[in-house]
This record gives sequence, structure tokens and C-alpha cells, in this order.
Amino acid sequence: MGSFFKKDLLVFWRDRKEILLSLLLPIVIIFVLNIAFTGVFESESESVTIDLAIVQEDDEALGFEQFEETLSDMDFSVEEREQVLEQAGEVTPIQLIHELFNDPELKEWINIQELTEAEASESVEAGTLDAIIKLPEGFTYGVLSQVMLGEQSEIPLTIQAEEQSNEVSVLQEIVYNFINTINLQFAIGATTGSDITEAKLPQGGTEIVEGVETYTITQYFTIAMTTLFALFISQTIALKTVTEKRERVFNRILLTNSNPLNYLMGKMLATFCITWLQMMITITVSQLILDVFPERNFDFWIGLIMVITVFALTVAGLSAIFTTITLNMHDSNAVSGLTTLIIMTLGVLGGGFFPIQGLPVFMQKIGEWTPNGLTQVTLIEWIQYTEMKGLVMPIIILIVFFIVCIIIGMAIFPRRGRV
Amino acid sequence: MLETVNLTKTYKDKKAVDGIDIYLDKGESVGLLGPNGAGKSTTISMISSLLKPTSGDVRLNGESKIKDPSEIRRVLGVVPQEIALYEELSAYENLKFFGKIYKVKKDVLENRMQEVLEMVGLKERQKELVKTFSGGMKRRVNIAAALLHQPEILILDEPTVGIDPQSRNHILETVRKLNEEHGTTILYTSHYMEEVEQLCNRVYIMDHGKIVASGSKNELLSILSSEDTIQVQLSKTSDAIIEKVKGMEHVRRVDETSDGIRIISKKGSNILSDLVHVIENENSQISHFQVEIPSLEDVFLHLTGKTLRD
Repeated sequence: MGSFFKKDLLVFWRDRKEILLSLLLPIVIIFVLNIAFTGVFESESESVTIDLAIVQEDDEALGFEQFEETLSDMDFSVEEREQVLEQAGEVTPIQLIHELFNDPELKEWINIQELTEAEASESVEAGTLDAIIKLPEGFTYGVLSQVMLGEQSEIPLTIQAEEQSNEVSVLQEIVYNFINTINLQFAIGATTGSDITEAKLPQGGTEIVEGVETYTITQYFTIAMTTLFALFISQTIALKTVTEKRERVFNRILLTNSNPLNYLMGKMLATFCITWLQMMITITVSQLILDVFPERNFDFWIGLIMVITVFALTVAGLSAIFTTITLNMHDSNAVSGLTTLIIMTLGVLGGGFFPIQGLPVFMQKIGEWTPNGLTQVTLIEWIQYTEMKGLVMPIIILIVFFIVCIIIGMAIFPRRGRV
Repeated sequence: MLETVNLTKTYKDKKAVDGIDIYLDKGESVGLLGPNGAGKSTTISMISSLLKPTSGDVRLNGESKIKDPSEIRRVLGVVPQEIALYEELSAYENLKFFGKIYKVKKDVLENRMQEVLEMVGLKERQKELVKTFSGGMKRRVNIAAALLHQPEILILDEPTVGIDPQSRNHILETVRKLNEEHGTTILYTSHYMEEVEQLCNRVYIMDHGKIVASGSKNELLSILSSEDTIQVQLSKTSDAIIEKVKGMEHVRRVDETSDGIRIISKKGSNILSDLVHVIENENSQISHFQVEIPSLEDVFLHLTGKTLRD
């Protein structure tokens, strides 16, 4: 087997065009896609800025007085009334609205100013403002009545805009989430008797879950292109068999009494080594140029290399099947077409061209069972969680896939006189 | 040593090889001749175990080797018509690869490689890539690769097609040495009759999948022993001359050549005086007259109706 392995490596190494395509192309494509798509996302993030005016027509002190009067007319004991009033004193709805929009994170993309209604309407019509948030007369009283007394009065906060736009939708979402948060916290406070804590601000943009890293578009492209181009190595090595058949080298090999499985194993081992090297070089160069995985520790890289190694094994298994297909079929163009079709299908289903999450659910499920799809999902989860236990099952599945490929390759290996 | 018994290969309804019986004795050099499509390569593929016969047998030292071809593969060296080498590897790397998979012992292989490279005259250029070699040099490496395991029988399938005279001579000399000095049994197919005449003790002639004649050179030539071939060079040739010669007693066939006519007549018949008379009557003159000894090419033409290069 060693002789076959060495021969296949040498034959691949001497094919300069193939080497350039296999090693350079994925790096170039990752680089180009990164530039192109990072540009798109950057321009989008710049476009989501909101110019907002707050028009305050409510008198906060008057609202409190009204609330106190309403409370005194109700059937509460003195202690209960004092407790409700104390809690209401901590709410201050207008102040909460101002605090919301003065939050440093929101201030990065919301420009806020206080105007009269006439000024604000004029600015909206002129296009210098995206929207107005109007705190109308009775706002404080309405909010306190609803959140403290559970009365069905509507919260009279209004958002006015000249036209519905993405910016206005984002704003509506923020205010809606904010109000829900206030309601929930008051409800919790009323049930448990605890003090009102600071209202949580809704998060825009990337959702951040505690303990989970986000993955970037550059990381996606790096993983997707690396796995996709690795699949093509299985085809490249297998198609060398076409030349071996055409030039009768394969017949000469048969005449040496060599076990044909040594030939197959040699192909697989060569594919494994070349694929592994290709993937490592692609990721290393991408890391050096684009800093794809910044500030990652040693454990992260070990996990990444483990997944790459097992994936390279499955690619080697695929090459065994492609090799036996090549030996069984007489038309080299048909072989090339069939193997390309298989790889492209795996590429699409496994998220090589766009994230697997963009596919219908049933196709996502299928995609996660392709070796490249499983590898991609595993690596993305590894980027997010870096939990070793998350690697165990995918690694086992990839090894099983490799073994199944070997069995299929051996089962369909042609008998004497059929090559 | 090696024989085929009623060897047959059928593809769908067409018999590519139709019940042929050939044998090779130890140390013999045997030629296998036939026009394109005669079934020579199919026969070689079956003998060398690459192709399973539809029926018939291949025997080595009297034992059938159809079911278990490993022994026949061990004693056979096959030089295919194609250059069965890795073009991206050097001659040395190719030989090393094939030597290893032939399981030539590690301590023997290097010496053996140098020996066969010396034999085919490429020792000085062994480190160069095969793809940089001329057609003749590639064919010489092709032969070297089949010799690494010191085969007892060497089968060469048209090993000199399309190569320069220097390489051709080198190959012929190599084959001759292998046969005469190393005692290797040779089965040689070629389009070049003179190669077979030069190298082989016996010849099989194949056509349409069958052996149509076999024997030593003299035995085959005796097939044409009832005819003489006469080349006549004339000052001028005309249809009238050809027609009148055709009408002469003992003349069986007349063909026009570039400078005269070619006559096939009954062996030993004296047609010269009548021929001179006919030609002078047609106002032409004989400038040269030669009775040819028949060649294997003539035998081949006689048996198959084709030349070897058809």
C-alpha cells in the first residue's frame, strides 16, 4: 500500500495546475467573498440609523397627583396605599423612556432630540427625521394606572412617521419590547412583592446569549469553502484512475499480482493526506490574512484540527467510492459528470454555497447528514460553544461514514476483466 | 511451457477470438502476426489473465491457469501496446514503483533497476520525467518495467509502433539478447514483418480471430512454393502489354508497378522468351528482370488478402 500511496502523492505533486487549483483557489475565494460580503454588511449597518424626536406633552407631576387621587378613592388600607405610592414613585414612565433612548448602545444608532410637536412634524415632512415619539397628556397617569392597578387603559405612547420604513419598524419593535418588559417586571414585582428593578433594554442587531460566542460571515466562508474544496480532492484523486485505465497502467498493476485493495487504500491514504494538508493550509493562510478566529485558545485549535482530521477521512472514503465508480464506468466524461454532480449536491445540501439555515427545514436535516454539512455545523457550534462533548457524536458519525464508504468501495470494486 | 487450448472470446454475438491453439516452448521466440482487428491483443489479454476467456484454456506447464492466474502473472512479463507508465514520474520512479508492487526484494531492486535500464539504454537518463522522453524512449522504459521481476516469458504487443529507427534497433537488439542470452521465451506481435523474420523461430498468422497458418519461416514460405513472383522493369507500360501477358501460358496474375509489371506465374515455368516477344511487339523494352524469392509478407498477403498494415 505504501508504494501506491507514495505514487499517488508524487503524481498529484507533479501536477502543478492541480496543486494551484486545490490550494490557491479556496484561499482566493475566501478572501474575495470576505471582502465582498463584509462590505455589504457594513453598508447595511450604517444605513440602520434612526433620527428620532421626543415630543413631551405630559406633565409628570400632574400625572402623579391624578394617580394619588384615584388611589385614595379606591378601597385600600393606608398601608397598601402607601406601598403602591412608594412603588409608583420608582416608576417615573417619562424618565424611563428617556433612559431607554439615552442608553449608550442605542445612542450608537439612534439620534435623539427633544422638540415641540410642530417642529418635529415639520422635520419629519422635510425628511430630516425618521419618526416622532409622542408622550401625550395623561401618559404618566395612564402608565401608572395600568402597571400598578391593572386597569385596562391604553398606554397612550404614539410613534409617528411619514412612511413605514425599516428604521420605523426597528423603532416600533424597541418600544414594544420596552413596554412588555415594564409590564412583565411590574407583574413580577406585584406577585413577589420585590422592588422594581431597572427595566431591561431590548437588544437590537446581533443577539447575544450568555456563554455563547457569535460566528462571523468570514468564519462561515472559511469553513464552507474549506470543506467544499476538500470534497473536490476526492474527485481529483479518483479521476487519476481514468488516466491509469486509458494508458493501461492499471492493467500493468493487475499483472503484478498486487491486491487491488492496496490500490484502493493507496488512493484513500493519499486523498486523506492531501485533503488534510489542503484544509490546514487554507485555514492557516486565512487566519494569517483575515484573522478569522481571533483570540482563540489552544483548546479551540485542537478541536478544530480534530474535526478537520475526521472530515479528511470521510473525503478519503468518498475517493474510494469515486475510484471504484471510475473503474466500473467506461466513459470518462460520464464519470467526471457524475462525481461533479455528487459533490455539488453535497455542497448545496451541506451549506457550501450558502448557510444551511437558509434551506427548508427538511433539507437542513438532510444537509446535516452530509459529511460536509455535519462538519460545517460542528465547526460552527465549536466556534460558538467550544464544548468538547459537542464534538463526540459528529466525530463518531463521520468515522462511521468513512467506514461505510470503504465497504461500498470494496463491494463495487470490479472483478477481473471488467475494468 | 505455455499453451492455449481452443481459446475463445465472444463479445455479444461476435467472436473476437475463435478457438485458437498456440504453444510456446521454453526459450523459443514466437511471432504472432495478423492485420488490425485480427484478435491478437485479445489473445494476449487472455493469455496474460487480464481478460477471462469465454471458453478454452490457458495452461502453464500443463496446468490450467484460468481460475488462479497468480502463477502465470509471476512468470509473465507483458509489454502492452500502450505506454503503460506514469508520465509525471521519472523512469527511475516508475521502475521503482512497479518493482515494489512486483514484490522484488528491496536489496535486489536497485541493482535490477540499473540492469534493465542498462539493457534498454536509458541508464543515463533515468532521473528524467517520462513525459519529456521521445516515443522510442518511452517504449524502452515500457519494456524495462516488464522485465523487473525477471519473467520467464515475455509478451510484446507491437513494441516498435511509431518510433525512431535508433530506438527500434535498440528494442530489437534487447529482445534478441533476452531470448538468446538470458533464455527468455518470447511472444512477439508486430506490424513489421521483417522484425518477426529477424527475431522469431516460429510464426502464427491470425485473421478474423483464427489461426490461419503457423510454422517456421520456411514452412510458411512453402505455402507459396507453387508460384514465382517476377518483377519486370519496362521502358514503357501499356494496357495492351498487361492484357497480352495475362494471356500467356502459366501466368496467373499481372499487376502494374511504378516502372513496369509484376507477374505471378507457375513455379519453374519458363516464360522469359514469350515475355520478351510480347513486349517487343508492343514497342517496349525490358530494362530489368528479376525472379523474387517469396517473403512472409507475400505469405501473409496470400493467406489474408491484406497487407500487415491494412
